Amino acid sequence: MNQIISSLQQFWQFTGFCNMTMGHIIMIAIGIVFITLAIKKEWEPLLLVPIGFGMIIGNIPMFPGLNIGVYEDGSVLNILYQGVRQGWYPPLIFLGIGAMTDFSALISQPRLILIGAAAQMGIFGAYLLALALGFAPNEAGAIGIIGGADGPTAIFLSSKLAPDLMGAIAVSAYSYMALVPVIQKPIMHLLTTKKERLIRMPAPRAVSQKEKIVFPIVGFLTTAFIVPSGLPLLGMLFFGNLLKESGVTRRLAETARGPLVDVITILIGVTVGCSTQADKFLTVNSVKIFLLGLLSFVIATTCGVLFVKFINLFLKEGHKINPLIGNAGVSAVPDSARVSEMAGREADPTNHLLMHAMGPNVAGVIGSAVAAGILLGFLG
Amino acid sequence: MRKVILTMFLAILSGLSFNTAAQNVSDLVISEIMPASGSSILDDYGRRNGWIEIYNKSQGTVNYAGCFFTDDRNNLKKSPITKSDARTKLGPRQVAVFYAGGDGSDGTFYTGFTLRAGSTVYLVSNDGRTIIDSLAIPADLPYGKSVMKVAADIRQQEFKVVDEPADPSPMIVNGSGNTESGSAKLAKEDPYGFVLTVVSIGVVFCALLVLWQLFALLGKMMNRNGGNNGGKPAKKVSKKAGKGSGNIDPEVAAAISMAIAQELGGETYAAIATAMHLYLDDSVHDNESFVITIKQKPSQWNSRGRGFRQLPK
Repeated sequence: MNQIISSLQQFWQFTGFCNMTMGHIIMIAIGIVFITLAIKKEWEPLLLVPIGFGMIIGNIPMFPGLNIGVYEDGSVLNILYQGVRQGWYPPLIFLGIGAMTDFSALISQPRLILIGAAAQMGIFGAYLLALALGFAPNEAGAIGIIGGADGPTAIFLSSKLAPDLMGAIAVSAYSYMALVPVIQKPIMHLLTTKKERLIRMPAPRAVSQKEKIVFPIVGFLTTAFIVPSGLPLLGMLFFGNLLKESGVTRRLAETARGPLVDVITILIGVTVGCSTQADKFLTVNSVKIFLLGLLSFVIATTCGVLFVKFINLFLKEGHKINPLIGNAGVSAVPDSARVSEMAGREADPTNHLLMHAMGPNVAGVIGSAVAAGILLGFLG
Repeated sequence: MRKVILTMFLAILSGLSFNTAAQNVSDLVISEIMPASGSSILDDYGRRNGWIEIYNKSQGTVNYAGCFFTDDRNNLKKSPITKSDARTKLGPRQVAVFYAGGDGSDGTFYTGFTLRAGSTVYLVSNDGRTIIDSLAIPADLPYGKSVMKVAADIRQQEFKVVDEPADPSPMIVNGSGNTESGSAKLAKEDPYGFVLTVVSIGVVFCALLVLWQLFALLGKMMNRNGGNNGGKPAKKVSKKAGKGSGNIDPEVAAAISMAIAQELGGETYAAIATAMHLYLDDSVHDNESFVITIKQKPSQWNSRGRGFRQLPK
């Protein structure tokens, strides 16, 4: 009888109920909130559902030493997490992004590329603020990249520069990407006049297939030679785009933008969610990271819009750019371009900005990869 | 002319290929040697032998199984490293030490020769012919000192022999002072981050500025050459262009791209293709923005009249 009671007591110690702390409960609740937002509000469901469920998986209280936790060497979750930890998944996601992105909008209006550069100031604004808050330069760089509004890039850079902060950075980046319409729209309204919002842009020219094929090769050579440290991201992005545009590798392009990117999205979402274990995630630093992440989005949007207004000072009437596409310089594709479209239609229901906004939007992807390469080069 | 350009291109390419280094045994460096006299450490048998330290300067793991050590230029296979030991994998920026006890059968990390002042030690590739690296032991090396190579800058991975006899540092990356990370350097040199910010923004702008100019130029060239439009310059898509002409109105293109972004499925593509076909065939009417409505067109397939049984006349 005593043996049975002793066994039951031992079993009780193995259970999650016995090992539960307030931190676990909070993190599980956050995971459920993420899933709810994804399902009810449809905010980035492809990311928030895996991350939210990953949070729940990662925060099941357990008896230490079972070798099943994400931070325990050799466990299944740990092996899957290596893709995040070692930075394997983000370049594969970029391969898929390249294979599904049509760069025509950028090729047809190359001047819009610079908006993608201006919006990267969010990264460096957040970097300065993070330094002021006492983070080390490598941590500040990893936090700053949230302003690029690019989840895979944020994971890639933080896995290299500040692995301990990666969970908070990734969750922050994806959360704010889901909130792009909420964050960007008021800033755009605040910084533009009614007259500016009504600016109509000339229709983009048609882009030939040859140009589309040349783009990834020239684009890659140019950016990679300037910032070789961004090679994994830039290489995969442009390679994926070449698969799409070459016209002779349709199967590979379909795999890259379909099953491959889906598999990696599942793995990256779940493992990043798992990595947010209460003891590592619920810290003052995480709160600071969330605050800095929000500010970086605000700075990026502000700089993008103001940069367009600045350029307009030098452009003739009829060639001016609608400042509502300035926000699209962050690389949240295509969400920020959609925000431009929505804001544009609110001002004038017949003024469609989506195709114009896609130019700076995809330039933002390139810009954030370049910025990540620079930060890695300086801080690595 | 084309042949000349092609030949030059190939020559440059072949020249570059000779300088290309993969993450293989060629990334190993003999980083330090300590002759037997005054050796600082004991081997696994408690002997005070000389030792050779190798360093992996690459970012990847290098497996040096099957490589050789020698102190005789005419006998490059003098002391082979076993192929059957998993410990012969050296992680990035890691070091391994081999004891020069004179008997290679003592273990994986033992060489078949001893170290003498005035000799040169060679690390030979697993092909038995290619010398990966060498380090000469000065004849006048003082007692208790070692000869070592240090990276001038750990990022550049350019190694130089230290002129002065060095204090032995087995199993420690030489010149650890140079291994200071970029972050640590910046914390001292640019504590507020302004320099990095200005430089980085400048680089991002320059990179994208170059891209802008390149694509503007490329677009002009393509238009001049006619691209793939059969010799005609690329047309501007006018608002009215579209129906029946094969060009797509920007609004429709926007609607299609939003639809693709919403759902990526084969059925969606099929629906979009049908919609585009009908649109270009002048079979749709667009009253609402971003919504393509397809006007029903009677055909033999959907004609109700044809679906009924015909009464015999």
